[in-house]
Amino acid sequence: MKGVKSNSMDHLVPIIEVFGIEFDLAAILMVVISSVVVLILARLAVRNLSVENPGKLQNFMEWVVDFVSSIIGMATDYKKGRIYLGLGLALIMYIFVSNMLGLPFSIITEAHGNHVPTVLGQELIVKGEHEHLAWSWWKSPTADAAMTMALALAVIGLSHVQGFRHNRKHYLKHYFEPWPFFLPINLIETAAKPLTLGLRLYGNIYAGEVMIGIILGMGWIGIPALLVWQGFSIFVGAIQAFVFTMLTMVYIGQASIHEEH
Amino acid sequence: MNIIWSNFFVQLVAFLILFLLLQRYAFKPLFGIMEKRRQMVLEQMEGAQKNRTEADRYIEEQKQALQQARKEAFEIVEQAKTMGTKQADEIVKAAQNETNRLKEAALRDIEAEKNNAVAALKAQVSGLSVLIASKIIEKQVDEQSQKQLVDQYLQDVGSKS
Repeated sequence: MKGVKSNSMDHLVPIIEVFGIEFDLAAILMVVISSVVVLILARLAVRNLSVENPGKLQNFMEWVVDFVSSIIGMATDYKKGRIYLGLGLALIMYIFVSNMLGLPFSIITEAHGNHVPTVLGQELIVKGEHEHLAWSWWKSPTADAAMTMALALAVIGLSHVQGFRHNRKHYLKHYFEPWPFFLPINLIETAAKPLTLGLRLYGNIYAGEVMIGIILGMGWIGIPALLVWQGFSIFVGAIQAFVFTMLTMVYIGQASIHEEH
Repeated sequence: MNIIWSNFFVQLVAFLILFLLLQRYAFKPLFGIMEKRRQMVLEQMEGAQKNRTEADRYIEEQKQALQQARKEAFEIVEQAKTMGTKQADEIVKAAQNETNRLKEAALRDIEAEKNNAVAALKAQVSGLSVLIASKIIEKQVDEQSQKQLVDQYLQDVGSKS
């Protein structure tokens, strides 16, 4: 039991080094797969666009559009926030698909003996001592802190840029509110926003995958638990995609859309 | 845990590309279609509204036309009635005039006939009386008294006629 457990927990990340930069092959693979899945889904949905007789996928896609529109409507003024509809759609679709991808299975490659495999002529990097070499190739792109932080920083950066461009006076003023000596607190809040946004998503999805690993380690006893947990993970994945999109719109709305009272 | 920093940029670039591709090839046409549908629904609703007001207007017009027709019919009937009585009066009057005229003409005719008859009678009576007289006189009057009688007679005739 102990051996199985350590097996499932000790999978390495397949990393190669090119020009002195470490690349996570599994992450790149999964990003590409997620993106392609989203693209194919979207293209299928708009393949036979029709005004009067939309297909099933088009209907679904329009439902998603309405859903994101309602998110924007809840977070900020819909008329002004409408330009972010595409961003919200891309975010919710990409994050949802990413969250789902890690759930159903995993792909593990094992080394034969101590022979380390090579990819594109580069050896996979092994850090530290391992008695058993195995690489995990399949995971959610959102189960990686660097990747969720990329998304979070991108949208938070966008919110600051848009705030500075379209709402300069109020955007700059909000750092000194309610009084000027609140500046440090406001700065901490500004720094915390992308951290909480990115790490919340990462934490939820990563924890879900860790749990799946642990349940797998329980052997056949864990099958009911696995089913329950995967169902719950689908729920969590959907909720996290929604939360991320919602908060994105809230932050963008806060920074760049000043509601007239 | 071990953070691989390249992932950050990989994800950033990948999401940017994904976003642009989605925007260009999926969302734009989809939004266009949704907007078109919105327009269509709006147009249809407007059309329905317009049709309704038009229908209401037509009904109102019809009602007014009906009212008008009724009024006109009533007027026509009234007119006919007055005209009828007037015509009847006229006819009666004309008939009366005609009767009067006929009566007068008849009276005039009767008078003329009477006069004619009197004249004819006069002529015949004078002829006959001469005839009778000459027959009686032929037998019993001599030359002297005949001449006297004729003179007296001629005198009578001359004074009467």
